[in-house]
Amino acid sequence: MLSASEIRKVVEERTLHQKGTGKKVVDVREEMERLEDRGEILVHHIRPENRPVATTTLFGWTKQIPTDRLWHHKSCGQCGNIPGYPSSLLWLMNETGRTYLNEPHQTSCTAWNYHGTATSNPVALAAVAARNFHRAYETDHFPLIHCGTSYGDYKEMRKLLVENAAVREKVRAVLRKMGRDLVLPEEIVHYSEWVHVMAPEILARQQHPVRGIIATVHEPCHYYKMVPEDAIYDDRVYAGQRPAVPSGILLELGATVADYSTWYDCCGFGFRHILSEREFSRSFANLRKIRPMVEEAHADVAITSDTGCVTTLDKSQWIGKAHGAAYMLPVLSDVQFVALALGAHPYKVAQVHWHAASAEGLMTKMGIDWNRAKGEFQEYLRALKDGARPELLHPAHGEIEQFFAINKGQVLPDEARASTLNPTPPRSEGRGAD
Amino acid sequence: MSVVAHLPRRAQSLTEEEAESPPAMELTGRHRMSEDERTVAATIFDEFHADPRYREFVLGCLNCGECTTGCPAARFYDFSPREMLQIAATGDATTLWDALQEKIWACCQCYTCNMRCRFGNDIAGIISVMRELSVIHGLESTRRTLAPFGRSLTLLMTVGTQVSSDMIQPDFFRDWGPFATGSDQVWQVTPEVMRKAIPLDVLQTTRSSWEVSVQTSLELFRIYEETGVLDMLRGLDPDLTEMLVDIVEERREEFAEARERFSSELAGQRGPVATFTG
Ligand code: SF4
Ligand code: SF4
Repeated sequence: MLSASEIRKVVEERTLHQKGTGKKVVDVREEMERLEDRGEILVHHIRPENRPVATTTLFGWTKQIPTDRLWHHKSCGQCGNIPGYPSSLLWLMNETGRTYLNEPHQTSCTAWNYHGTATSNPVALAAVAARNFHRAYETDHFPLIHCGTSYGDYKEMRKLLVENAAVREKVRAVLRKMGRDLVLPEEIVHYSEWVHVMAPEILARQQHPVRGIIATVHEPCHYYKMVPEDAIYDDRVYAGQRPAVPSGILLELGATVADYSTWYDCCGFGFRHILSEREFSRSFANLRKIRPMVEEAHADVAITSDTGCVTTLDKSQWIGKAHGAAYMLPVLSDVQFVALALGAHPYKVAQVHWHAASAEGLMTKMGIDWNRAKGEFQEYLRALKDGARPELLHPAHGEIEQFFAINKGQVLPDEARASTLNPTPPRSEGRGAD
Repeated sequence: MSVVAHLPRRAQSLTEEEAESPPAMELTGRHRMSEDERTVAATIFDEFHADPRYREFVLGCLNCGECTTGCPAARFYDFSPREMLQIAATGDATTLWDALQEKIWACCQCYTCNMRCRFGNDIAGIISVMRELSVIHGLESTRRTLAPFGRSLTLLMTVGTQVSSDMIQPDFFRDWGPFATGSDQVWQVTPEVMRKAIPLDVLQTTRSSWEVSVQTSLELFRIYEETGVLDMLRGLDPDLTEMLVDIVEERREEFAEARERFSSELAGQRGPVATFTG
């Protein structure tokens, strides 16, 4: 235990340390520019073709959110077990005419594993991030990150790569072995930020009113507690005192966003816990999150914007019946809720059947004829069973792409590097590309 | 100037005296450390303090408990981030060793403590450093804790995603209820058909979160080889590691064959696809 005078000294030194190094308030993007000028890194810039929209971060800095020509950085948890999450997002991009790539040439960020089992290290995590960044760069599509943990991890890794020359060199050496280079994106962008800035276009397409729907928001920890300075805030959302996403879009759509006492708590996912210590995850989710949402806020739906949070809050509820707590509050991602409000098919697109707590009551309140949609989906499943071709949101990939991360004619933004690639015009996979 | 330098620091490793006289906690019935364990504990202690992240993450502590107040794990386990930070800042080799046995695994990695700490300590980060060391040194307690992760580690190492829909088996996830797995029992079709009904071709698989191209998965494995992750895993589970190496060898052969098969389409390609051979 420190003595009082030692504590005073530590506080004093800490203040000096903060002032002297500016450690906690430095804008990593400025240092990125310096490194780019010195030729130490490449920066994947947001360009006019990305149709950026300006937002404000926690510290009042401006953050550009690209809205077009996007490279979908998928989430392993979403795709593996709540697939209506990514399909709603890509559906929304088609509806709003945005172009994108949804490739098999990406890995996950691998940070779920790191936070769960620690069988990795910062150099490996940074190399994984940089490999994915480079792939997005060589396709000339800006990375849009689906998972809150990937977003948090990539913010950390970008900072690490900017601030630590030794890690930078190690990662560069690894990338060179696969013909890649060190590229960092100008902004680390979470899909919910895209949804937030797309509000005007989303509202113009709203089909189902949500006035009268009470939504409670769970703010994903890794969105705003990891590298907090990159999260976006908006004066119209809780007077800028809480992150703008995902509450902002719910308010825009006309829902009531209700507060509850444990909003700041995590969901109970725990990375390791959700797989091997679920008694913790489900107790925490039920007692600290779902119960206050229902009993204090009388929620119709819980909305969040991360993989682990949707999973934990949704799938932990059923077992609550064993203790007489059968809340079964529907839990959706913001983008699934948006897709439903815009008339997306609840089963074919929003894929609500993968969720444990039924969304049918919510859909009834929204005026969605889910019974008919369910019948259509059952028909569709029968057809698939009999060998019908699946309906897709974008053209299917060719066989060669099961093996090779080929260049499909994209041109690098950097002219100096363009000569190393096939210089035919870019073509996106998204339907909006035409 | 770093604040850490002003924190009272115990010896960098066990003194002779410490090594010979058992710490007080042992007298209260705690497992007595073997000689081998003492040696490993001393090495871990030294490596912990030598890790460059130590100086960045551990900045000082007022013992205010703000971190613990918001900590989800502290509500359900005998665990507190304040204690973890104190152990990191002022603990000795034995206290650190004790924490590695179980406590470090209670943390949810939610980063709430970091957000609340006025000192700007990276408590979640320093817990990760402790966990990494327990993996690197293959502690028995760590092996037991991570034993259920063989399947997800295999997926992660070989294709780079951590979940597949065929992992979410109703039998294993009974507590999630009958509707949690997009279940074939409810819809009366196979899991494969359920996945075909997702309108994104790369997701229409049950064996991975999405289809990952072979080149991409081999690039990932190269990262694991080059950055010491494979060695880390070898220390923890040599059998699993050898199995992974075998799987990847097969994929490398598959990749080489595909290079022949698609040679004409690949002829015009430049960049990584042309240079990377697995
Ligand atoms: S990161 Fe770990 S120690 Fe910190 S608040 Fe979350 S669970 Fe507690
Ligand atoms: S919040 Fe920071 S200063 Fe306070 S007890 Fe926790 S680690 Fe120590």
